[in-house]
Amino acid sequence: MADIRLKTGIVLAKFVSASSKLFGNKGETLPGRILLKIAPEAISLLAQGKEVILISGTNGKTSTTKAVVAIVSQLGPVATSASGSNLARGAATALMSSAPYAVLEIDELHLPSIIAQTDPTVVLLLNLTRDQLHRMYEVKRVADRWHVECAEAINTVFIADIDDPFINYSIANAVNVLRVSFGGRPHPDGAVCPLCGSYLTWKGGNYSCTCGLTNKICEARFKTGSASYRNAILANLVGEVVGADPIEFTESQLERSVEKEINGKKAYFRLTKNPASWNEALQGDLCDDVILVLNARQVDGIDTSWLWDISFEVLKGHRVLICGERALDMAYRIHVEGIESKVVETFDEAITQVEGTEVSVLSAYTAFFELAM
Amino acid sequence: MLEIIRIHNELLGTYGDRGNADVLKYRAHLGKVKARITDISYLDPLPDSGDIYLLGGAEDAAQLLSLNALRKGSILSRVAARGAVILAICAGFQIIGTKYVTRDQEIPGLGLLDITTTPGEKRLVGDIAVQSSLFDVPMTGFENHSSITTLGEGVEAFGRVMVGNGNGVAGLDGAMHQQVFGTYLHGPVLARNPEFADLLLERAIGKPLLSVDDELAHKYALWRRSVAKISY
Repeated sequence: MADIRLKTGIVLAKFVSASSKLFGNKGETLPGRILLKIAPEAISLLAQGKEVILISGTNGKTSTTKAVVAIVSQLGPVATSASGSNLARGAATALMSSAPYAVLEIDELHLPSIIAQTDPTVVLLLNLTRDQLHRMYEVKRVADRWHVECAEAINTVFIADIDDPFINYSIANAVNVLRVSFGGRPHPDGAVCPLCGSYLTWKGGNYSCTCGLTNKICEARFKTGSASYRNAILANLVGEVVGADPIEFTESQLERSVEKEINGKKAYFRLTKNPASWNEALQGDLCDDVILVLNARQVDGIDTSWLWDISFEVLKGHRVLICGERALDMAYRIHVEGIESKVVETFDEAITQVEGTEVSVLSAYTAFFELAM
Repeated sequence: MLEIIRIHNELLGTYGDRGNADVLKYRAHLGKVKARITDISYLDPLPDSGDIYLLGGAEDAAQLLSLNALRKGSILSRVAARGAVILAICAGFQIIGTKYVTRDQEIPGLGLLDITTTPGEKRLVGDIAVQSSLFDVPMTGFENHSSITTLGEGVEAFGRVMVGNGNGVAGLDGAMHQQVFGTYLHGPVLARNPEFADLLLERAIGKPLLSVDDELAHKYALWRRSVAKISY
């Protein structure tokens, strides 16, 4: 019975996929949605016989998934989901492929259920910081769910960046774990031990709790570096587990950044969607002209209070233009830090006001997809 | 020098409430009042010299850690008694109450406000607007919590809820008594509502603030009110 439903679901989903593509829609989630409606167990059925690799974390999911796809593709065809479609329906759409490998980016809240359904070969856990709190509620809540599910998945190899205490806690009871440390780094939300609730003792970027949670005990240690450098190494570790040769990536290949020519100006887009990704982006090189784009739709996070946890100090001396649906949240936040800006109605208007020949565009999630992709 | 004490921001800083101190300092400066922010971490003793004390929102374990640290020496009760201004948001609001109840324990609070907090059935998340007797205009913010806060006999709410949930009962948000203010409004609340920031500053210096003319702050507050979908 399940088999018939699955077959019917796939036929219908493929039909929908083909016809929606005909109308210019990328058709990434609709087929999966239909499939799951008809055959709710489709993900677990389709995952059987495939080597499934899942990638999750607050920041770096999409670019790291692309890197893992490149690495695993050396072994054979790989099914993967398109940028950003990281919920169950995106996974279902990708798994309809007959490829022997599936490399999937999974949303943090959906990860436990996708692990349970796919019995993955490898799961890569990148980091957990504050993001979209209107639906995540609390970082610890997400980590608690991971902690429980990782212990259940006894066939899976977990590759975990334990410089993040929430990741270390998540895999604390997992059976097969490759704990990776890059020599530590401070965590913006790491004041409390997620395992025991004590005040966590940090020395520089390293933590040790009386309960034993620490990033000093690990199976693999690398030198410190940027997020994209770390994610490239983690992606290659995934490759190693499934038997693929390592690939070298440049930093920019793993950055969520896009270069585009607009009205004769060179625009460097960078995805900035929460305090951690903002801080990472603000550490990079910025043009004299900077455009900040802030929206607050569901995937951006409808609450923008977190802007106050970022220091925008480095924008002093730059010409700052702001647009987006929540432009005033941003303008007032940096105003209080002593940075004046110009708020404009649209991105096009912002571009025309750029004085130099190049501009850095730091952009929230939805705006990044609209403007940069 | 007006001293603004930001308490345990590493614990009570989950929802951007650190900005409340920044806005107070900024507006004090515009009103020609010298002010500084003192950040007090969990490991530091809480000074009793402050003029304004700020507590923000937190995750559960952090909330409990902060409360237990603040019990030492009952500094907050003492400074409240001498008239220091205290603003407590969300988890901070809960810990300065009589007690709060979690799924597995009942925790006595600092007792600055006669309020009791119990677990609610659902998470209360979204924009919130509150009409307070202190202001002519509604206060706006963002709430994200799952508790119900009940006021003791005769305790005045911070305001009446016009949009959202607030305390989750009786259509009220927050509580206030003398110089102590508690509310569920993040945002940060003082960034979105400069009138509230100025009121706290005036209460702290004991006299009216020089008229603060910050066009962007005003424009921002107006816009925030206009998008809060307030209906009277």
